[in-house]
Formats: sequence, structure tokens, C-alpha cells
Amino acid sequence: MLDFTFTEEQEMIRESVRDFAKKKIEPIALKMEETHKIPDEVIEGMAELGLIAPTVSPEYGGQGFDPVTAGIIAEELSRADPTGSIPVFYLVQASWGHVFNKYGTEEAKKEILPNVTKGKWFLGIATTESDAGSDVLGTKTTIRKEGNKYIVNGEKMYISGVREAYTRGGGHITIAKQFPELGAKGMTLFYLPLQSKGIIPQYIDDLGREGISTGGFTIDNVEIPPHYIIGQEGKGFYIVHEGYEYARGLIAVISAAAGLKSLERGMNYMKQRKAFGLPLAKFEALQFKLAEHYTKLSYLRWGAYYALWLYHQEMLGKASRFEVSKAIAMAKMFAQEWACDAIDDVMQWQGAFGYSKECVDQVAWRAIRSFGWAEGTKEIMKVIVSRELLGKEYISYK
Amino acid sequence: MKILVLVKQVPDTSDVKFDERGVMIREGIQSILNMFDQYALEEALRIREQYGGEVSVMTLAPEQAKSALQKCLALGADKAYHISDRAFGGSDTLATSYALSLAIQKTGPYDIIFAGNQATDGDTGHIGPQVAEWLGIPHTSYVEKVEKIENNVVTVKSLLEDGYRTIEMKLPALVACIPPPNFEYSNPTMSGIIKAKNKPYIWMKADDIDGDKSKFGLNGSPTRVVKMYPPPKREKGQIFTGDYREAVRKIIEHLKEKKVIE
Repeated sequence: MLDFTFTEEQEMIRESVRDFAKKKIEPIALKMEETHKIPDEVIEGMAELGLIAPTVSPEYGGQGFDPVTAGIIAEELSRADPTGSIPVFYLVQASWGHVFNKYGTEEAKKEILPNVTKGKWFLGIATTESDAGSDVLGTKTTIRKEGNKYIVNGEKMYISGVREAYTRGGGHITIAKQFPELGAKGMTLFYLPLQSKGIIPQYIDDLGREGISTGGFTIDNVEIPPHYIIGQEGKGFYIVHEGYEYARGLIAVISAAAGLKSLERGMNYMKQRKAFGLPLAKFEALQFKLAEHYTKLSYLRWGAYYALWLYHQEMLGKASRFEVSKAIAMAKMFAQEWACDAIDDVMQWQGAFGYSKECVDQVAWRAIRSFGWAEGTKEIMKVIVSRELLGKEYISYK
Repeated sequence: MKILVLVKQVPDTSDVKFDERGVMIREGIQSILNMFDQYALEEALRIREQYGGEVSVMTLAPEQAKSALQKCLALGADKAYHISDRAFGGSDTLATSYALSLAIQKTGPYDIIFAGNQATDGDTGHIGPQVAEWLGIPHTSYVEKVEKIENNVVTVKSLLEDGYRTIEMKLPALVACIPPPNFEYSNPTMSGIIKAKNKPYIWMKADDIDGDKSKFGLNGSPTRVVKMYPPPKREKGQIFTGDYREAVRKIIEHLKEKKVIE
């Protein structure tokens, strides 16, 4: 039986997050463009409410939330923060908190996750390198076992939250080649504390989402203990995709929310601004654009929630990994494009003001544009969907 | 200490619209927990933290008000009583407070009862004092803070037009609360929301409370709402511009002309 309603509990969560975001995030959101930092009091407030990595089990300080509930929080944060900084801060930790919670060792989970959920540490993901993004097998970073420890060498680039983990504490779930000759079966996933000796960070001046840092780091003979291995040696390639997919689902929700919020601003403007004696809202050329964007973004929103619901079904053993991969890839495929197209039109409706830095919508456009790359390009999403439709044998590469 | 908080679900009046007849458009308006009641609850929870005990919340309202009670549970209340029955339909404040007082006697006794000073919809400020009168216990309205509870006496700080007064009441007593300026309301935490679903939620019908049924609902309500209308819009004021000395002189002349000043 189809039921598109959220539970009473989820509605209450939405209301609480929306109210918090309206009071604590909306008023400071645009300031993050200048300060390049999420205010400490916002992070503390999020932690107090239980909004940081809520996908983590309660015994490690989380809420044990399912993917749909995690999506509801993402949606409300996205509506409140046009810079996309807090949504990114949230989605990375929610997705990779889930992976850590599922595959991390008991010792590591007890040591790290409570600090993450309390907002003291940042938990990120570091797989991308200068020459390897979508092509995870192109990773050059290496990990080798030496006695009772592991030694990591390499470099990661275009990583979210480098400054946050380097200065506040925490680290990134990182992938490296352990057995290069085994290809996908030779990659290992592990937790890399960014305050380790041998980590040298660097930062990138991004186009948007200014409140959270983007950068990279070199990893020079960094030692990690065995309990930081996530899953088993050689399983990293497979595990990492579970995290990507969680994050992709949340990105789809965040994109839809940002686009729909921008349309709301656009509608208010259309009703007030007159041209040739008529409110802009009376011009069908604009009405039709509005209707198209609203339709696409509403379908995107529900498609994203469906994908997250299916992800939850897989967690309950009621759906297959590949069904989930396909649904998530379909949700993510046009998320950035449709949201940015809508926001771009809202900027257009506002005339020259739309091109000024005072216009909130250009902030939102710059934020959402990043999702054209983050956690997989739309081309990769098409590869995944094609793979599921045609079969693995028709895929030219892994 | 047994503490009770009386609450009400109200329309979110931050975004109220009226139709051309002046009737409130209820469609699309969200229902929320009355903010005065949330403040009363937050005071009650603070008292529980200080003196220990149990905080129950109670409402007399249709089923949809469940979300308001659940919010109270998520904020930290221990138990909820939801009194709901067709027999209470059309109740004014007198009939509502009568039914509430019966339910309080049935579920109590309580050491202290909190209520919001008023609800943001009806804005009467009746319920708290009327409940206390039905119960025959002391009460104070406009309570900004419960200062202390000692030797079975509660000390409260109550707001006056030009200051405050401190009042002592023997327990059991009722306090009708009003939030101080810029009070920052709490949001339910995620874990609070999760815990709320496992807390006792007790439904009560008219038959569950003993009393004179002729005083329930419309029959027990002497109040009749004849008409509701928004206040007339104020005309746009006159703005005096230019050099401030000149502007002040003009304002004084204008006020004299209008015989506001001599």
C-alpha cells in the first residue's frame, strides 16, 4: 500500500528542526560567506538537539535515525541555509557516521563517534585525489601493514571539512590501495585523524558553501592503529559506495529544498514587482517556468525520499544493494541541474538585482552547483542506472 | 512533587489571514502549542529539576491536539492526559475550566498547577483562574517566575503594569505564566522526541470524569460569540519632515489644532 505521509514522530522532528533553523541558522547564514566558518554556537545548538550524525546508534551518542528521517533534517537545514554550508556539514557526517557506525570497530566507535555527535570533532570523507575522483580505482594513496600498525602515504584533494577536522579535531574516512594487484578488492577504508603527525593540510577558495572549508592534505608516513580500519582489509571499495549512496540521497533532498525555497522567494518577488503595469506573476512566460521548475523539484523531492526509503529497506533486509544504487543514482542524476536551473530563473526574474551579490539566490546557486561533482557526477549516475538496466557486462569500466 | 501543566493547541497566529467578512481563514494554518503554555511547561520542568517529582500535561481538545501534547512530552513532561469527547463541543472557558477541574480531581492531587496566562487565539486569560476557583485553591496570574517552593509555600514573581510583585501562596496553588521579554523557547531534542512515544498518554472521555454533565459543552457555556471581526485599520499617520526644530514646531501646532495638547 502506498503511503506518502511521514510519521507523527518525523513531523515533530521536522517542526523542531525547522524552528531551530529559523531562529539560529537563517539569521547568520549569509554571514558565513564572510567569516568562512559555521558559528560555534550553531554547532553546539545542533549537537544539543541531536542533529549531528543522527544516523549513529544511541550507544555512541547518535539517535539511530533511518535515512528518511535523516533526509527530513537535511531538507530543513537546506531551506534555512542558502549558503549550503550547514547542509554539507550535516550530510557528510550523517552519511559517513552511518558507515562508521556499521563497519567501524567497537573501540574506534567508542573513541570517535561520541565526539562527533557532540559537535566537538568533525567526521569527513576523503577519497578524491587530484587524479582520481569518480574513478576510485585510480586512487594513488597507499596503506601498508607494518607490525601492529598501518602506514599511509599519499594525497587527498577537494575534500570537505579539512579545516574543521584539522583545527577542531576528528578526521576523515579515507580510502587507499593496500593490495594494488587486486584492483577493487585491494582497497582498504580507514579512519584518518587529521591531527596526526604527517598530515599537511591545504585549502581551496571555492565558489560557494563558504561556511565549510574545502581542501586537501598530504599524508606523509602517517601511522594508524589497527582498530581504525573500517570493515576489513580489501573491502574498502565496496563499503565506500554505501556512504556515497547515503550522501547522494541526502544531496538530492538538499538540492530540491534549496530550489523550492528559491522558487518561494521568486514567487514573493513576482507578486510584488510590476512591469508594464502588471505584477510579474501575471506573465505566463514566468508562470510556466515556475510551474515547470516546481514540478521537477517536487518530483525530485519525492524521488529522493523514495531512494532514502529504499536505502532503509535494504538496511532491514527488504531490498537489494543494486536496487538502492539505481534509485539513489536516479535521484541524484538531475538534482543539481534542476535545482540550479530553477534558481537561475529566479535570479533572472529579479532583473539586474539577480546578478548582484546582495541577491540570496546567487548564493544558493553557487552552493548547489557544487553537487554537480560532490559524491559523483551525473555521468556516473547514468553509468550506474545503465549498469542496472543492461547488466554489468555492458559497462566499459569499473 | 506532583506538577500539572494545562495546555492548549492554537492556530499559528504569526501568519493569520482573514477573508472579506473578517472571518479567520483556517485552511493551511498550522496548529501549534500555545506559547504561553510552553513557557508554563518550561517553568514546570525547571521546578521539577530543582525539587524533583513528576510533570503531567493536560488538555481538553479534539484528537488533533495530540501533537501539542506530544510536543510537551518531547520537551520533557512525564505523562499526558487528553480529554476529548463530543460532549465538550462548543465549550466556553467556564465549561472548559469546569471539565478540566474535574479531570484534575480525578487524576490528582497535584501540589502545583501551571497554566499559560492566556492562549494566543481566544486571549481571555480565563482558564487558569477559573480552574483554580473550581478547585478552591489560591492562584496568581502574570507569573514570570516561580522563585521558590519552601515549607509548602510557593513564592512567585508576578508582572504588574509598572513593575513586579512577589506573592506567596500555600500549596496546592495554580500559577498562570507569562514569558519574560525575549524568552528563548526550547526546541524538542531528537532524543526527547524518540522518548516521547513511550511515555504514558492517557485518553479521557466525559464518562471518565465525575461531575454535572449539564455543565459540559454548549449547555454549560453562558458565553455567546456574536461576531468576530478584525479591528479597523489605522489610517496612515502624517509625517513631518525637514529640519527637526521646524518639524517639532509643526507637530506641536498640529496637536494643538487637534486639541490633543493646549
